[in-house]
Amino acid sequence: MSRAVAAGLVVVLLLLPWVGTGEYPLALLYSTFMYAALAVAWNVIGGFAGYLSFGHATFFGLGGYTTGLFLVRTGLSPFLTAPLGAAVAAGFAALAGYPCLRLRGPYFAVVTMILGLAVRAVILNLPWTGAAEGLWMTLPPWEPLVARRAFYYAMLAVALVTALAGRAVRLGKMGVGLEAIREDEEAAQSIGVPVVRLKMSALILSAGLTGLVGGIYAYDRSYIHPDFMFDLHLSVLAVLMALLGGRQSWAGPILGAVVVRLVDELLTVRVGTEAARIIFGLGLALVIVLLPDGLLPHLERLRRRAPRPPAAVPAAEARL
Amino acid sequence: MLRVGGVSKRFGGLVVLRSVSFQVDEGAIVGLIGPNGSGKTTMFNVITGFHPPDAGDVVFMRRRLVGLPPFQIARAGIARTFQVVRPFVGLTTTDNVAAAVLYGRGVRHVREARAEARHWLQYVGLAGAVDAPVSVLTLGGKKRLELARALATGPRLLLLDEVFAGLNPAESEGAVALVRRIRDELGITVLLVEHVIRIVMGLCEHVVVLGSGQVIAQGSPAAIQADPQVRHIYLGEGFDAAG
Repeated sequence: MSRAVAAGLVVVLLLLPWVGTGEYPLALLYSTFMYAALAVAWNVIGGFAGYLSFGHATFFGLGGYTTGLFLVRTGLSPFLTAPLGAAVAAGFAALAGYPCLRLRGPYFAVVTMILGLAVRAVILNLPWTGAAEGLWMTLPPWEPLVARRAFYYAMLAVALVTALAGRAVRLGKMGVGLEAIREDEEAAQSIGVPVVRLKMSALILSAGLTGLVGGIYAYDRSYIHPDFMFDLHLSVLAVLMALLGGRQSWAGPILGAVVVRLVDELLTVRVGTEAARIIFGLGLALVIVLLPDGLLPHLERLRRRAPRPPAAVPAAEARL
Repeated sequence: MLRVGGVSKRFGGLVVLRSVSFQVDEGAIVGLIGPNGSGKTTMFNVITGFHPPDAGDVVFMRRRLVGLPPFQIARAGIARTFQVVRPFVGLTTTDNVAAAVLYGRGVRHVREARAEARHWLQYVGLAGAVDAPVSVLTLGGKKRLELARALATGPRLLLLDEVFAGLNPAESEGAVALVRRIRDELGITVLLVEHVIRIVMGLCEHVVVLGSGQVIAQGSPAAIQADPQVRHIYLGEGFDAAG
């Protein structure tokens, strides 16, 4: 995607709430931003470095509980404390990452999944987090449409920050180092890649961004419970969206998230929730079996094969 | 330049290196030879930090290497290739080498690193495979790629683990010439493990012979070939490098 197209898209998204857009489309886009941010954040450790985490809901939940507890205890708005949620998630990743990142492949996947279940069990039993009763937050007395707009912008901001971070990692020095780690850790060390430090950084960044998403989401729900804040389904969804879109690039997971979100919504509206899940699951399985690199590389190949509009060429050259 | 002093290494009950000492002088091409299982590759892994030794010392340019993680040893100026080639298969040839420029030498910008990487690919004779996927390379090509990757870290000492194995005679001749060029043009010291004795004798100025984890002889190629113990254990009594 060229820079001009991306900038245009962002402008459209920024203006959208002011052209008479109703609550439903805003809510749909809000959840699309959220999924996109989760997938891009997951991809930093899962895609670039090849450490398939099945425990990202842990970071999401920690972020959500951080902002939730701050709101309940101090009255500080999650819009302000979301970075603290990110910090708590990142801090947890820093502690858990050191032992976990010694494991590879299925072992890493399983251990991250179990860690998520463990954290959930802890929260369920800590009285000061609301435990099994969950935690209620009070939203400001906003009109429904005003609330939708506020959360729309908040999640858009989170998604943009996440996408820019993912892009910077992928295209920069760190991206090359993480790819080397994904391919062969010993060979990477032999050319000077600080393997442990680099994958720790990737996990911490990935967790922090995921915690940021959770922090905003918790406020929007205004009631949080370990069952859906530490939901394994969410961890799996992040993996699926990234794989579906293509985990080699920073933008692939965004595409995956958009496809997942829109197809899921469409199916739910048209054929009902249960049938939607079945069709959707089969579709995902097919795509992953048939296109292991995800959708994005194939789209790019199609675009390259298509004849370019002549006007676009001088414009592209002028930018260089 | 490199001094290995009294290095011992055991894996469980198996003693792989027994108080090994030798020295590599700056600017030399040194051969490390010995029968299979004599500890050559383990020696490389000790020098590069992958296997910490149980005893002994490795000193490189007056710096103790024992205890340093492999990535710091690489940055200190020791590069290696692997016995079984280990390119980053999911990356292009250029990015394989660019990773070494970025992390081995501390270059910060990917674009700059890629430009330099292309230079190294040309240097090792892979000008035709710049920016290509690794899968287009033959075994010889992959070995050259590993060499380019090692060179791109800016080493003072290059450890080559059987780079000539599995190459056809023409490829092997080209590789010998390349190793000579690396030493002569770039001034990089070379320590190589090799089984093809003819190559060792033609290329190296100094040869260290390992047998069951011990240094059984070291000296000039001519002296090594004349050594009765080496002939008995490794070369075979009737051995003649010219033949």
